[in-house]
Amino acid sequence: MKAWIDKALAKGITDVQFFAVRTKNVKLTVYQHQIDEHVQSDVEVVTMRGIYNGKMASVRFEHNTNTVIDIFIDQLIDHASAITSNDPAIIFEGSKEYPKIKDSNFDFGSVPTDKKIQLLKDIEVQMEQHPKLKQVQSVVYQESDVETSLMNSKGIDLSQRSTYAYAYAVGVFHENDDIQSAMEITLAKTFDEMDAKKIAEETVSKGVKKLGASSMASKRYPVVFENKTFGSILGAFGSNFSAESAYRNLTPLKDKVGQSIANDFVQLVDDPLDEKAFQQMAFDHEGVACRTKDIIKDGVFQGFLHNLKTASIFKQEPTGNSFGGGISSTNLVMKPGTKSFEEMIAPIQDGVFINNLMGLHAGVKASSGDFSIQASGFRIENGQLSKPVKMIVVSGNFFTMMNEIADLDNELEYNLSSIAAPNVYIQQLGIAGE
Amino acid sequence: MLTKSQYQELLNLGLSTGADFAEFFFEDTNSYVTRVFNGEVTSIDMSNTYGVGVRLIQGVDVVYGYTNDTSFESIQSVIQGLIPSFSGPAATAKPIGEALPYSNTIKKPPRSVSSKEKADKLVALSNQIKAYDERIIQAVTQLLQTEQQILVVNSEGVYQDDVRVYSRVILMAVAQENGVMQQAFEGPGRFMGFEIFDEIEMEPLADEAAKSAIKLLSAVDMTPQVMPVVIHNGFGGVIFHEACGHPLEATAVAKGLSPFTGKLGEKIGSDVVTAYDDGDVESAWGRLSFDDEGMKTQKNLLIENGILKGYLIDQRNARKMKMAPTGSGRRQNYKFAPTSRMNSTYIAPGKDKVEDIIADTKYGLFAKKMGGGQVNTSTGEFNFAVQEGYMIEDGKLTTPVRGAMLIGQGKDVLFKIDRVADNLEFGQGMCGSISGSIPTDVGQPTIRVQAMTVGGAGGKQ
Repeated sequence: MKAWIDKALAKGITDVQFFAVRTKNVKLTVYQHQIDEHVQSDVEVVTMRGIYNGKMASVRFEHNTNTVIDIFIDQLIDHASAITSNDPAIIFEGSKEYPKIKDSNFDFGSVPTDKKIQLLKDIEVQMEQHPKLKQVQSVVYQESDVETSLMNSKGIDLSQRSTYAYAYAVGVFHENDDIQSAMEITLAKTFDEMDAKKIAEETVSKGVKKLGASSMASKRYPVVFENKTFGSILGAFGSNFSAESAYRNLTPLKDKVGQSIANDFVQLVDDPLDEKAFQQMAFDHEGVACRTKDIIKDGVFQGFLHNLKTASIFKQEPTGNSFGGGISSTNLVMKPGTKSFEEMIAPIQDGVFINNLMGLHAGVKASSGDFSIQASGFRIENGQLSKPVKMIVVSGNFFTMMNEIADLDNELEYNLSSIAAPNVYIQQLGIAGE
Repeated sequence: MLTKSQYQELLNLGLSTGADFAEFFFEDTNSYVTRVFNGEVTSIDMSNTYGVGVRLIQGVDVVYGYTNDTSFESIQSVIQGLIPSFSGPAATAKPIGEALPYSNTIKKPPRSVSSKEKADKLVALSNQIKAYDERIIQAVTQLLQTEQQILVVNSEGVYQDDVRVYSRVILMAVAQENGVMQQAFEGPGRFMGFEIFDEIEMEPLADEAAKSAIKLLSAVDMTPQVMPVVIHNGFGGVIFHEACGHPLEATAVAKGLSPFTGKLGEKIGSDVVTAYDDGDVESAWGRLSFDDEGMKTQKNLLIENGILKGYLIDQRNARKMKMAPTGSGRRQNYKFAPTSRMNSTYIAPGKDKVEDIIADTKYGLFAKKMGGGQVNTSTGEFNFAVQEGYMIEDGKLTTPVRGAMLIGQGKDVLFKIDRVADNLEFGQGMCGSISGSIPTDVGQPTIRVQAMTVGGAGGKQ
């Protein structure tokens, strides 16, 4: 990459950064006791960001032989030349220090393929023992070895490597005419963390509980969101915490820094170093050191997440949240309360517990806060979970809802998008059913 | 680029341990995004996707490998990593054939037009949206262009290249009043270059996005209920895409999990429903000359007068199902093995007039513009969002409503369609499934569904 930097500078680019991600994956799928798919890959993607005449443009490429790099540099210059906005264009000189994070470099490649296939077959066989299983739709194992490196003309030279694997099963269950599907996933940093029995049991238990579900009468109900499900909702509205959204007038939080935006017991933190999270991050994609910061403290909005550009516009420090060309959270954590789940739902006479949302991308309007999403879960009757519910739509407004949180329990859980939340009890939301 | 004898040698290596089919999918794709916010060109980014995917099949078992290093040695090493998965006698690949011509109708390929010229068009449209009403606080316009060059080489002798050029214009308006923020967008896309601006009049669409965002400011939240829904033409076809299109893909059918498995020749919908998936609609966003397995695309009849007539089948599932492939093998890029996917999927026009359908509906919802949706192909449950809707009362459109979400069951909804108008149109979207995200058209004339569950945040607080 050093030679590419020189080449770019020689063509008149004033500052340039190369960010490379090399990913090696192995994916195995078993279906009906046979290997259904076996995928191996090795791909390096490079993103070049450069400043020309004060304007920033970027080119991301996979064709990375020296013969084509000139073409990409010329493209970048052409693109930068057509930009008219006067947004600050910054290539970073580096943070004073970077947090130390524990490496996760288990060599999944050292585990024989047969052993991985056996894991999947074991999951399938265990699931098949259940009388209500119609079919194991797929059992999948994937391992990844990701090396990232960042180099720029201001002297930054950073790298990080992490390896991880995941396995999941999708089961289809039936009872009379009712068909339900369920999926459970396990993330692991070493192969020994993969537990066939646990994956099988959790998938079956989740699927069987859904059987016999019916809809419910349309009206407003108290709603409890399962922790991981609430995490998905936080993720869907996460762009509201980005300074880019504030700069572009795309969030109603724009002028709300320092104001109350949620109940006073709500705490929301962006914590790249959280040891409970699956991944810790030392630097963002612009080379800024990652650090922990409050987003909502005692219900009060503390400030936006920034990259170098927005930090300069708003005259703030960058927060280390520049990822993939935009701004996003690292590990987003909504702090738990103290009650158990049972204690929290005890006062609910007639409500619904939602642990599955479908079509989240379609049912959410991030900037207005409105949502209307297909859901399923369980009724809550007389303070306890009762029968399963499906084919309902839950509707409300994110910003209103954050002020109508009745309670939080103590069961904090991360979802796959690095967002953690407890189970969350909302006073009332609209439910459409029968 | 390798020579044919090198391809032959690599294909034979792929077939050396029992595989009966070997395939290479080469790709060199450049995508460009130009973004304008309130009249300012804020970013122009380019993304290059480049590499090769290697697929070996024995019976119905598949191994797949991919890399962004397309040299002979690199492909050889990928194959060597894959072949230990199979055991059996070696086979020899058929001699590599000649490519058939692909249709080349592109008038202004992405790179033939300067960044400045593209940006100027978007700036004018952004300014137009912003000027529509002082309540418009953000006018975002984008041009997304992709030029994908592919080459499929396989052990059956197929040697087929294809070039796909897509352009899509995003016109988005964000309106604000009294703390309420609403947005609306139009996103016309075609299998075209920059001539999309000559073929489609963008100015009325820019006004439409602005008008729609302003209208939503005063719309009331939808009250949850079960009611008749009149779904307007164009992107309204997302209902068929989710409810029936996905469950008719071989990925769902071959495993026996689709509600439509084993139902060929049976009645699965009401008499007014006839539907197609067409891979070769002229200049359509969802079109290809050849699919990602090198097969010529075609028009596939799915449902005729309510009777199930066909599925969408890729080559591997063709083996599983013992049926012919339908030119429907697609993938986002070389990082995905291909599978059966949709192209331009639509309900064929009927004889009704849209005005009559609304006039004959005493009470219901008119879903004028649709958002996205999702389906679970095992259970058949699907949902999709209404971007702009109106109540129908005594056969007339009345209050505008927002935030409506429609849900249903694929196998039921086709029977509940009781009216089909004569105004077929297409809408463009990106469709996500196991072989990645691909451009597809959805389409339909205006239809009426007798009863659907409609969600929303309205009603008594």
